[in-house]
Amino acid sequence: APGFSSEKQLTFNVDHGYLEGLVRGMKAGILTSTDYHNLAQCDTLEDMKLHLQSTDYGKLLSSSEEDLTVSLVDSKLRANLVTEFSCLRSNALPPLSTFLDYITYSYMIDNVVMLITGALKQRDVAELLPRCHPLGAFDQMAAVGIARTPTELYSAILVDTPLAPFFQDAVSESNLDEMEAEILRNKLYKAYIESFHSFCKNIGGVTADIMCPVLEFEADRRTFIITVNSFGTELSGADKSALYPSCGKLYPEGLRLLAKAEDHEQVKAVANCYPEYKLIFDDPEPGADFKTLEDRFFEQEVKLNMLAFLQQFHFGVFYSYVKLKEQESRNIVWIAECVTQRQKSKIHNYIPIFPGTH
Amino acid sequence: MSSLLRGEEMCLAQLFLQSGSAYDCISELGELGLVEFRDLNPSVTAFQRKHVNEIKKCEEMERILVFMYCIITSLAHSLSLSLCLQEQLQRLEVELGEVTRNKEKLQRNLLELTEYTHMLRITRKFVQRTAEVSVSLCNLHPHFFISGLIQRVKIEAFERMLWRVCKGYTILSYAEVEEYLENPDTGEPTKCVVFLISYWGDQIGQKVKKICDCYHCHVYPYPSSNEERNDVVEGLRTRIQDLHTVLNRTEDYLRQVLIKASESVYTWVIQVKKMKAIYYILNLCSFDVTNKCLIAEVWCPVNDIPTLRRRKSGATVPSFVNRIPTSDTPPTLIKTNKFTSGFQNIVDAYGVGSYREVNPAPFTIITFPFLFAVMFGDLGHGVIMAVFAAWMVLCENNRKLKNTRNEIWNTFFEGRYIILMMGLFSIYTGLIYNDCFSKSLNIFGSGWSVKAMGWTKEQWENNRFLTLDPNVTGVFKGPYPLGIDPIWNLASNRLTFLNSYKMKMSVILGIIHMSFGVILSTYNYLKKYNLYLVFLPELLFLLCLFGYLVFMILYKWLAFSAKDSRHAPSILIHFINMFLMQGDGLQPLYPGQTGLQIFLVVIAVLSVPVLLLGKPVYLYWLHNGSHRLGLYRRVRRNSEEELYLMRAHDMEEGSSHSDLSSSGENPTEEFDFADELLHQAIHTIEYCLGCVSNTASYLRLWALSLAHAQLSEVLWAMVMRVGLRMDSTLGVLFLVPVFGLFAVLTVSILLVMEGLSAFLHALRLHWVEFQNKFYGGTGVKFCPFAFSLLPSSFEHDGLL
Repeated sequence: APGFSSEKQLTFNVDHGYLEGLVRGMKAGILTSTDYHNLAQCDTLEDMKLHLQSTDYGKLLSSSEEDLTVSLVDSKLRANLVTEFSCLRSNALPPLSTFLDYITYSYMIDNVVMLITGALKQRDVAELLPRCHPLGAFDQMAAVGIARTPTELYSAILVDTPLAPFFQDAVSESNLDEMEAEILRNKLYKAYIESFHSFCKNIGGVTADIMCPVLEFEADRRTFIITVNSFGTELSGADKSALYPSCGKLYPEGLRLLAKAEDHEQVKAVANCYPEYKLIFDDPEPGADFKTLEDRFFEQEVKLNMLAFLQQFHFGVFYSYVKLKEQESRNIVWIAECVTQRQKSKIHNYIPIFPGTH
Repeated sequence: MSSLLRGEEMCLAQLFLQSGSAYDCISELGELGLVEFRDLNPSVTAFQRKHVNEIKKCEEMERILVFMYCIITSLAHSLSLSLCLQEQLQRLEVELGEVTRNKEKLQRNLLELTEYTHMLRITRKFVQRTAEVSVSLCNLHPHFFISGLIQRVKIEAFERMLWRVCKGYTILSYAEVEEYLENPDTGEPTKCVVFLISYWGDQIGQKVKKICDCYHCHVYPYPSSNEERNDVVEGLRTRIQDLHTVLNRTEDYLRQVLIKASESVYTWVIQVKKMKAIYYILNLCSFDVTNKCLIAEVWCPVNDIPTLRRRKSGATVPSFVNRIPTSDTPPTLIKTNKFTSGFQNIVDAYGVGSYREVNPAPFTIITFPFLFAVMFGDLGHGVIMAVFAAWMVLCENNRKLKNTRNEIWNTFFEGRYIILMMGLFSIYTGLIYNDCFSKSLNIFGSGWSVKAMGWTKEQWENNRFLTLDPNVTGVFKGPYPLGIDPIWNLASNRLTFLNSYKMKMSVILGIIHMSFGVILSTYNYLKKYNLYLVFLPELLFLLCLFGYLVFMILYKWLAFSAKDSRHAPSILIHFINMFLMQGDGLQPLYPGQTGLQIFLVVIAVLSVPVLLLGKPVYLYWLHNGSHRLGLYRRVRRNSEEELYLMRAHDMEEGSSHSDLSSSGENPTEEFDFADELLHQAIHTIEYCLGCVSNTASYLRLWALSLAHAQLSEVLWAMVMRVGLRMDSTLGVLFLVPVFGLFAVLTVSILLVMEGLSAFLHALRLHWVEFQNKFYGGTGVKFCPFAFSLLPSSFEHDGLL
């Protein structure tokens, strides 16, 4: 009801105004197209460091004794995001705190699956742990490798973590192998994204207006990626449709068609029925740069997340900020990678954020 | 004085620096702090400039210094750090880094050993307890132990997971360590728990080990027999002793290294900061054609050029200073001292004056505190304020007061001279208003006598109010020598009397202030026609209308005495009638009043079209009309071509001024009548309406002074009088808290709050009512390159 939501908006600032202000301030520090232009002109990582000093990153890179490498840049950027996020999280009140926790769950799922696949390849836990995303860190993380089956994983290790509710459909007795781990990831993700979607819907108001399209897009993106990646595996249509999140715009008809799809053309045919996805699957214009499907999805995601900042009194800005900042880290790492490998021609393949702002 | 009034005369100078000595020259200039460098390579981005590498090295050194500073403070040691600075610093860093790493390793080792001893001690108890129970089991299966330490917060989750994973094939017993052990990662003291797990079977053993890893347990080997245990304990004790001695040695060594370094840390920090600043300046310079010389362009006060030349020729390698002509507007420099700087800041906060524009600051020194005091007039409050400010002035060299990080205090401290002047002027106006904490002082004896009225006893008793009549001889013996007569403090019509006085006074002060502003504008007019076509009509408009109002006020004060005060006319009615050009029904103030008033109104009305059209039409005529001026313009154009050639020459040298000098186009070249007319129309409307509204605005002087007086009177009546009314001996004791409350409220409300409000209104009267009559404030402040003004990142780290 609109009356209810406007009342919520009235009192929004009492609990969450400070954090919203904070996150909007931090959003103003997101690199602009001029910054990217300058970064792309750099010849060494040292130059990049010098330039980043004039941005909100400040002394982030210059305060270390070690030599600058791309992985160091990556971990520093990540640590920076985690610092910002934990500042937000520690000041948050419910329901914003729950909302922020939901953001971390996706990183937790990725960490669990990475640890399982690592354990299958007989890697040492101590070697794997630093590679986990710090936003999805939890106490029981290191014990994940003990589990042999998803059931064991659930009942012994993850039952105390917030991931437990997502295990409802994922419990099975089959041995964990790489394929099974991937299926587990997608099942967990499906449960997670559906739960997040309904959580946002329950909050209602502007938060639902902003977050639902973003999460629906996320669900559909996963559906497309699962379908494209399943070509050439023994996954049956029914198996696939068990992995598709059912909260997206593709639900239900698109999902049914995608489960049957067997090559790229069929996927494209499905996407053509949805104007927002038609663009992504369109053939690139002759002369334009070739972009991977992943990049096109990223571009679309950035666009959606930018829209979140156009409205006030909602939680969407927090999600969008984290996602945009993550994209920014990917961009900087991409440019840094191109700079160190002297691949100047590919340097412009980053995904610009807020292209119009200065 | 002329520099304070108009700002320093500036010139653009070119410095030719030999590349070998450029660094020394710039360092010398930084010590002098006389010149502002212009960026000659604005198109080159920050990381493509010539001395980027040197700047990077400086940053590296800064980082090392910050690192050293961290170590030094962690040892709580006072520290202080030569040329070939970089090598020395790097050597020191390596040394320090190694020693601290060693130290950390040793400390960690020590911690592990302590943990091990704790574990052995505690597990012994477990074994004694469980021995009887597990005897029978021992015989059936091989029996293994894992033992170690875990943080107390994690033990519960640990136990639960152990149970779930091993399905009960383990026995866990644990006990808390009484002491706090240091957490090796964070360094915080934490409570730990010693645990002992006994299990059967190899497979479970692996799982248990993994779970232990997961919860970051510190696992130590568990001795299987009592003899072994005793051996281990004995071994540990000796090793801990050894470690303690090694640790002590390391700390001593570290201390020695740091003491050596601390002798010169501060000078190193300053040197690095200076080096970095110099390389930044070198990046602003461009090379000449031969690449042997650096060229720098600087803004410099004309008076300081000889000083500059002298210093330059003193350097070992000669360098040259050339004055170059320019069409760019130079930055504004107004030299201040500690007294004038506060007032200059008030003016600069509104806008930095354009180059050579008249500077209101010297007049502000007097008018600002005066207008403040008109609103704040109270002798007592003024004395408190002046004493506080005088204390700050006397203690201005006290480092503790100077270097605080309290922003509010710094604001007060920076404005100590302003506050002092405000306090002194408040004492003066307090004397004039005869107000001291809302009471009047009877210093010279009142000029009024009650006795002369000859009231009878009956009259005294039956009337609550009695009127003193100045017309009765002997009652009014002449005015009080200074300010308001103290008898008014008792009068019931005091407010009516003071209101009329203060209102008229604020109008008089306002019109004098504004007229002064208009007169100051003559200093800004470079062309003579402005004087006749702008200044004259402005002044006539102001004086004919509002100047005449002031005249009427003064005339009424002088012309009417107590005798004929009943016939005194209302100035307001007369003033309104002046505009309506009627007034036949009223008795004139003086003969010939109507004629003079009509004359004044006509002049004021006529000055409006002169102000509106005069300047644009004259400029239009100048532009299109006379033939003689065409010649003049051709001459101008020649000089312009020269300028153009010069600029082109500069461009060949690789220093484009295009974006700097684009604003310097010649106005005569692009004369637009419509533009000029519009501009003048806006100015006219603003000025004429402004005269009316600004005069009204000065009434805030009256309003605030009234508010201040009333507030202090209310405070006296509501607080002090309550205490003074108690006539028992207890009243004396009661007076103590009452006076405390009175003092606190006086300072917090009357001094701080009222003071801030009066300050704000005085600021507004200066910025809006006074400065808009003449002050543009569109200049750029001169920022000289001086080491003393260097901002420093070290300050944020608390190093200096």
